[in-house]
Amino acid sequence: MAAKRTAPPPPPPTPNPIPNRRALASGAGSASPSKRMLAFHFLRALSRISSATPVACRTRTIRRAAYFSMARAASPRRSWSRALLRQVRVRRAVRSRRAVLMRRRVVSAAPAPPLGVRSISAGQITSAPLAGAPPPRQAGEPARADALRRLVPGGGEMEYCSLLEETADYVRCLRAQVQLMQGLVDLFSGQ
Amino acid sequence: MSSRRSSRGNISEDEINELISKLQSLLPASSRRRGSGQASTTKLLKETCSYIKSLHREVDDLSDRLSDLMSTMDHNSPGAEIIRSILRS
Repeated sequence: MAAKRTAPPPPPPTPNPIPNRRALASGAGSASPSKRMLAFHFLRALSRISSATPVACRTRTIRRAAYFSMARAASPRRSWSRALLRQVRVRRAVRSRRAVLMRRRVVSAAPAPPLGVRSISAGQITSAPLAGAPPPRQAGEPARADALRRLVPGGGEMEYCSLLEETADYVRCLRAQVQLMQGLVDLFSGQ
Repeated sequence: MSSRRSSRGNISEDEINELISKLQSLLPASSRRRGSGQASTTKLLKETCSYIKSLHREVDDLSDRLSDLMSTMDHNSPGAEIIRSILRS
């Protein structure tokens, strides 16, 4: 009589001629950045793009959307995702400020130098060459770590130990993002 | 994962080695060598750097292709329908 039944198992996914749907749906929770969240954020950003932007800068917008959705999907505990989001915010503020400046300077063809703008967010420069003090060098840290710091967002201020952890997570997330985009390209080009 | 985080300034060698081996397992299999039990740290970091750079390049390339494809996308294709259903759920 004690035939206790938990919730009925979800129905199996309908067989789809396009394999990416299955990959997207079954990838949830398999990697540390949830693939479903990644897909959701990226697709939402993509759908917003297709209506608004001109064709010329679409590539740049898509790339920015990719990194942004990657940072969003990752856990905010990760310092690289926070650094990425900070970067996006800074760049947005920069662009609006630069637009205002360009409108004022009608005659002189001198756009605001990128370096001067970057120094505004002192201490929050992530992938740009560090203008402030060099990162604290730990004992036993090889010289190669500097190059790694420059590659991983937010790496300039981390200790060596956390740098390794962040790098591992960043690589995992990057790989998931590349797989997602590759799947999308295959999906679209197969039409 | 951060359960064995020692106090500041005194990060033991073992933890670093553990992290490095974790990183090594993430890299593509072509770089892993069974012979050497402990690949040189410098070499590992260099390979990680180049791997991250190649991933960046792939993202750029894929976003380029995506932008090309999106301009010629047919909004009523089954692919778009799937994407719309994903966004709705």
